[in-house]
Amino acid sequence: MFRLMLKMAWKNSFARPARTVLLIIMIAVSMSMMLGIQGLYDGMALNIADKNKRSDSGDVSIFAQEYRINKDIKFRIKNALEIKKELQAMNGVKAVALRINADGLASTARKSSFAQIRGIDLAEEELFGKFSAFLKEGEIRLDKKSAIIGIELAKTLKVGIGSKVIFSTQDTRGEINSVALKISAVIQTTNIILDSSTVFVDLKKLRTFLGLKKEEATQISVMCEDQAVIEDLKIKYQALDVKSFFELQPMMQMMEEMMLIFNSITFFIVMSVVFVGIFGVMYVSVLDRIREFGIMLGIGMQYRYIRMQIFLEAIFIGAIGYIGGALIGLFLLMYLREYGLDFSSFADALEMWGYEAVIYGTIKVSYFTTTFLAIISASVLSVLIPLRKIKKLNPIEVIKADK
Amino acid sequence: MFSFALKNILFYKGRSLTTFVLTFVSTLLFVVYVSMMDGSHKSMLQNAIKIYTGAIEIYHKDYRDIGGNEYLIQDTSAILKKISQIEGVEAYTSRYETFGLLSSKNNSAASMVAGIEPEKEKSLSSISEALTEGEFLTEKSGNCIYMGVELVKKLKVKLADEVAFIGAASDNSFAADIFRVCGIFKTGSFEFDLSTSFLSRDYFDTLMLSKNKASYITIKVDDLEHVEAVNEKIARVLDDNLESLTWKTLMKTMVEAMEVDSIFGYISLALFLVVIFFVIMIYGFINVSSRIKEFGVLRCVGISNSNIFSLLFYEIFILSTLAIAVAAPIGGYICYYYSINPIVIEGIAEMYKDYGIISDEIPFDFSVFTLAWNILLIYVLNFLSILYPYFYINSFRPIEASRHV
Amino acid sequence: MKYFLALFVTFTLLAADEAHEIIKKLDENMRGESIYMSLSMKILSMKHLREMRLESYSQGTKKSFVKILYPPKDRGITFLSLENQMWQYVPKIERVIKIPPSMMLQNWMGSNITNDDMVRQSSIVEDYEPKIIQKSGTVVTIELTPKEDAAVVWGKIITNIDTATYTSNKDIFYDDEGKEVRVFLYEKVKKFGKYYIPTYWKIQPSDKEDSYTEILIDEVQYDSGISQEYFKKSALKRFSR
Repeated sequence: MFRLMLKMAWKNSFARPARTVLLIIMIAVSMSMMLGIQGLYDGMALNIADKNKRSDSGDVSIFAQEYRINKDIKFRIKNALEIKKELQAMNGVKAVALRINADGLASTARKSSFAQIRGIDLAEEELFGKFSAFLKEGEIRLDKKSAIIGIELAKTLKVGIGSKVIFSTQDTRGEINSVALKISAVIQTTNIILDSSTVFVDLKKLRTFLGLKKEEATQISVMCEDQAVIEDLKIKYQALDVKSFFELQPMMQMMEEMMLIFNSITFFIVMSVVFVGIFGVMYVSVLDRIREFGIMLGIGMQYRYIRMQIFLEAIFIGAIGYIGGALIGLFLLMYLREYGLDFSSFADALEMWGYEAVIYGTIKVSYFTTTFLAIISASVLSVLIPLRKIKKLNPIEVIKADK
Repeated sequence: MFSFALKNILFYKGRSLTTFVLTFVSTLLFVVYVSMMDGSHKSMLQNAIKIYTGAIEIYHKDYRDIGGNEYLIQDTSAILKKISQIEGVEAYTSRYETFGLLSSKNNSAASMVAGIEPEKEKSLSSISEALTEGEFLTEKSGNCIYMGVELVKKLKVKLADEVAFIGAASDNSFAADIFRVCGIFKTGSFEFDLSTSFLSRDYFDTLMLSKNKASYITIKVDDLEHVEAVNEKIARVLDDNLESLTWKTLMKTMVEAMEVDSIFGYISLALFLVVIFFVIMIYGFINVSSRIKEFGVLRCVGISNSNIFSLLFYEIFILSTLAIAVAAPIGGYICYYYSINPIVIEGIAEMYKDYGIISDEIPFDFSVFTLAWNILLIYVLNFLSILYPYFYINSFRPIEASRHV
Repeated sequence: MKYFLALFVTFTLLAADEAHEIIKKLDENMRGESIYMSLSMKILSMKHLREMRLESYSQGTKKSFVKILYPPKDRGITFLSLENQMWQYVPKIERVIKIPPSMMLQNWMGSNITNDDMVRQSSIVEDYEPKIIQKSGTVVTIELTPKEDAAVVWGKIITNIDTATYTSNKDIFYDDEGKEVRVFLYEKVKKFGKYYIPTYWKIQPSDKEDSYTEILIDEVQYDSGISQEYFKKSALKRFSR
């Protein structure tokens, strides 16, 4: 019996092929467009957060109290090395990076600019955030003299690979020292501070230069597998300033929330319109065949079979539309993930906001599962009213009526 | 045909109602969404202009790129005189900006110190309204310095404290003085509040030897819409070594950011409109396909294709017009209302302060032009939606159609 | 062959030594053990000529004290630099201000000299590797290339030194890419005791024709035993008057 129902539902779905196809196209097109937009927006938000985390703060960063306000190496973490070891031994901690930051002046023979020097351990940064992926030009390497420079700072100073930059800053004794650096690489992180004002040098080298001890650092950043670790760290290191990514970047949280709200609204509107579409088609399709149903009821077919058949019809159409939409959507998303949307003509503005000039999409499984549920429920819901019409039928009257 | 269309509309109530509702919803959504988007962009820019940047600013060429005393405007008063005669200019003032070192007892910070004309500045920028403590400058306020709140924190000073200033005067000679903190401001832009302070030009010019010189002249226009025209007039009276730029150039990144935001807004809107378009088309199609027999008969009795097209056209035209006639005034009113009474979202300014957004208000933009093109687009979409149904009917031969079940 | 090679090596070593020797002598002439100078400066910029006079006391490479005598508006402003740090005293505001590193690299009072030049002018011996590139008569042209670790902005400096007096008559400063940035010209060499010093200097930035700085040295005293009092922070106020 059920197989027969399936067959009938399938046949009936295409009894009027034009409108069914139209409906399927509608579902497919609107769904794929929606997926594309969601992927793009999420991609934007994810990308900016991801790059910020990888290039700088991780999921959580630890500073000495007052450091973030005064930006002075006076406020440094004295036992950073020890903390790093503790962190590495903790469950849920993926990677730890130590950093030393100092403000000063970067200069060439012709220009000088306020800048920040940051000591990093390349191997550590690679594990922490795949630092080499930020490379724009040159070669990521930090030996004795070399330095990596943010792309905007390179533009300001008008320097390129192989150029010499002198960096001057105060050491721990308050004395001004200068160091000659040779640019080995230009990077772009889309993290505004890093891109526009940072020179990266080897951690050990900067430590010696500034007169810091081996155990000291100004910032410890942690990548976690488990967000619960953040709370643990706050409790464990109360004497220090422990801040999560969202606390350091409240903008990001706000942005993610706004994206979520926006995507939900879009989803809701699109799905309700899709519902109206399916409803219209199913309603008319039931009315068209009202005589048919009357006869079926008349010859003793149970109402529940008819109900089942109509449900199946609606689900068929919904599912085919969904499959079409999922395929086109997947294709669109893959394209967006691979090639992105090119906004190069607005590069300046996007970079100011921390975006890349080419915006890439992302793909989440949840896009497909939630849309599937929504479309199937829209299909099922859309036939409820037509079904009530059938239920109220008086078979005899329907057959008699010749219309 | 018209009255026939009207009858059809009344007869096929379901389709008519759905089309009406959908058109209504899409028009309303479209109008309100665009208005909100444009409005918030405009207000962001206007706020940004209000803080400090003028609608038009006049510079000595290369001042913006290279800077320094070599590129100061020299005979400021003569230029100001010329500008005062230009129509469309509402207010103008000159500013003298320099970078110097400000130090309190224990702290020092590099700051941009600007000599301004306090009275004129009030009508040109909102720095006087950004006052949080003490008072704004006056022409006669002497060595009073009006300082950004973040800079105050950095120097660890309070009202009435002294700060020492050293820097280079306009002839590059040495300049040093003691200023007194008389007022503290907060614009909300962190960078600006951290790096800027003001003095009355009267006093500052004597110290900096900058009488009748200026870093630039900033101008407010009567109507921002006409800024280009005013700018052209100004450019015509200026010497070759000066340039006059509008806010569109001065705040290029911000303008671009707004454009990108608009592009995304329109992408989302396109999604809604496409979905709604499909639904309207499907309803039109279902309606038409249930009337194939009717159309067949009509054509059998000699009614031409173009008549059938105009029948469909009239139907959709009447429905769209009705829907739009209801939606447009409502949408228009919503836009108009919120353009006067902006939506307030607490905390937005705080969140976005780094981007120079200083207001919690999201005003809408009310523009008849925008309203008109939005409505036109809905019309066009609705008309497009009858094309497929029309071709569908035409694919039947009249006899065949009249027998269609 | 071996003999020839040995000769060649000795010769180049000697040449390198010679270059070092010349630079060292030049540096001694410019500095002595301690030096007092009274000088006037003319600065042309923006078609506007400014004049100032100042006194400078310095000892070795790490200590120097400068006092402005003219114009009257700036009279009494003093600068002290010790070990790469710099302070300034302004009598008008009666404050001693520590100059942050960022300000130290800006042009000094609109001249074509940076504060950094004043503070670190010393490093010519320590920071550069000299090489003789030309000799004509007593004038030797030496190319100074910064040493590996030297924190200097210049790509190289080419200096023409007259070995009769061990004074330079022209220094050309190049940037990293080998482009000329500025030129120092020296004239009017005078003898003070055992030292020679040019008493007229002109600094010309290469990309700005209408701007230059001239320095005229009015008085020089070498090794006159400058009091250590000048190199204390208290000197800023004390010797301002």
